[in-house]
Amino acid sequence: MSTDIEARLRDALAARADLVRHEDLTPLATVVPLRPRWQSPWVLLATAAAVLLVLGIVVQGVGGRERSDRIAPQPDGPTLEMPADVGRDWKADDLSRPARVDLDGDGVREKVQFLSEKTDDYAGRVRLQTTLSSTGEESWGIAELTSTIGVTARGAIDADGDGDEELVLPWEDLAAVGGAGHPLVFDLRDGLLVEMLAADPDLLQSGDVAVPGSQTEFYDLVHEQDWWIKGGQVWSSRSVNAFARGNMTLLRPESIVLDTWRWELGDDGVLRPTDQGCAEDSTVEGRHDCDGDQADSLPAVQPAATDTIGIGGEVALDDGGLGYRARVEDDGSGGTLVVDGPGADGLVYALSAPDPRVSTVSPTYLVGFDAASVYVASAADPAVAEVVAQTADLAGLVALRPVGDVPLGTGSDSDGRAYRTWLTKAGAVVTVVEAEDGSWDSWQWARVGGTDIAALPTGRVCFADVTDPSSVARC
Amino acid sequence: MQPAVDITELYAAHRLSLVRLAVLLVDDIASAEDVVQDAFAALARRPGAIKDPSKALAYLRVSVVNASRSALRRRRTARAYSPPHALPPPTPEDTAVLAEEHREVFVALHALAPRQREVLVLRYWSNLSEAEIAAALGISQGTVKSTASRALAALEKIMTTTSGKEQR
Repeated sequence: MSTDIEARLRDALAARADLVRHEDLTPLATVVPLRPRWQSPWVLLATAAAVLLVLGIVVQGVGGRERSDRIAPQPDGPTLEMPADVGRDWKADDLSRPARVDLDGDGVREKVQFLSEKTDDYAGRVRLQTTLSSTGEESWGIAELTSTIGVTARGAIDADGDGDEELVLPWEDLAAVGGAGHPLVFDLRDGLLVEMLAADPDLLQSGDVAVPGSQTEFYDLVHEQDWWIKGGQVWSSRSVNAFARGNMTLLRPESIVLDTWRWELGDDGVLRPTDQGCAEDSTVEGRHDCDGDQADSLPAVQPAATDTIGIGGEVALDDGGLGYRARVEDDGSGGTLVVDGPGADGLVYALSAPDPRVSTVSPTYLVGFDAASVYVASAADPAVAEVVAQTADLAGLVALRPVGDVPLGTGSDSDGRAYRTWLTKAGAVVTVVEAEDGSWDSWQWARVGGTDIAALPTGRVCFADVTDPSSVARC
Repeated sequence: MQPAVDITELYAAHRLSLVRLAVLLVDDIASAEDVVQDAFAALARRPGAIKDPSKALAYLRVSVVNASRSALRRRRTARAYSPPHALPPPTPEDTAVLAEEHREVFVALHALAPRQREVLVLRYWSNLSEAEIAAALGISQGTVKSTASRALAALEKIMTTTSGKEQR
């Protein structure tokens, strides 16, 4: 379907994008050196020796203060590590950008350069190099980031409220799906840029953080966490509830409630979470303060997809624009599903369900790539629910195999608990299983490998009438 | 072992299209260039990612979207915590050379929530499938579908309202 608004949008985007031409772009150097440059082993040895020597001399503790840059060591405080004076000859990476931070609180922002240690894997250290505007003295710090390329500060904060600023660099786990990391906070102490400690580092992480012991065969539970800078302070958040994560799928409601914290820096150089608050994170609207309704939105169990075709019917599937068509032919002994579309030229599948009903909506959640998928039920047997999808090589159709403890379909399990399965208009296959108190445990099916599908938990809900998914409500 | 794909070649081949994608998300070309530069820097930190051209481009696209969102968030913070919907429309200089009918759409586009704008740009400019958009944004296909639907409706409503005001 292409509407006027879609056409106008497409044209406007193209017109705006076309305004950017090659000649408008800033001439830039190559992004990174492509191959590790040869480095003399003697230089490496000399550098290593110098590092060891300096580390042996300068590693010591520092503690409380009146102003953070004029402090005296505090014997009982936690141990901060003074930076070694290494890397004076390191060079700033082409993609690194100096930071501007008022480290000494004189109202003039120092320029902090990031000098990268040269290593084969770009995973060396970074020297934070500056000259203090108040004294003209040199100051430095050492950061261990995951990469020395393109070092950029996240911002400046005044977490201890002493009038000078601390420099914040992001440590990022580049291998984590969806990103993960935490802030590194550097404060000027004893004339050097010293990395601060966190009292509860787990709360200062970003990313999907697994709940210990939650791992099952097909999923684990994770809290969504994040950190950011706002109003000259570091803030962090963690979802109140944990959500199921399995095989690259995270099932979270559209809007979730977060606990938030502001991080305050103490005289002892330790960041501590304070001012616990509440925020909501919406996949559409982003993060905002709680507005009173402090609950996650309900799992997406409705609206149910109710339109189907039977034998003799044909339909252009509602599959998000993939463009597949399905029809059910009478083969004498039952129905045969025939699918046409991109990479599918009359693929057939013999339906075993009596009086089969093929949904006009595709269960697209269960296909990890652009391929045909069909949800099949039966007008004669409400117990039947089946998902048929195109194979990975697109050569045929196959029924996806439900695995795990949750049944696919409608009926009662061996414990006498009722369960019901349906497809939503958004293309998710949902099963709800009756709980002891009359509420229902909600599950959503996800691909867990090959042609296997398993149900992942999405929460507990109540229904005024479970046969009508639109009657879903919080319990 | 040498990487199968030269990041310099990727840079030459895709920088312009990625800057165009970014400019649709962050309004101005300077920020867009920064965003793309950051994306290539991030890619360079993942030597494994540059062995497969298709994965590298997908990675770059995700990086550009994420970095654009971060850039807008930083900009909002710098603008004294104005709410997400209060982002100003593109400056007259940015869109002066756009035809009036395009300018109207673009101004409305910038009144949408960031996620809505991302979905529309990826769908109607990058021509990604719902599955690809879902993967790029880390959301489900269902959310892509519902977001796109609501965004189009909101876009139309904003344009209708704006048009009505101008006519009065």
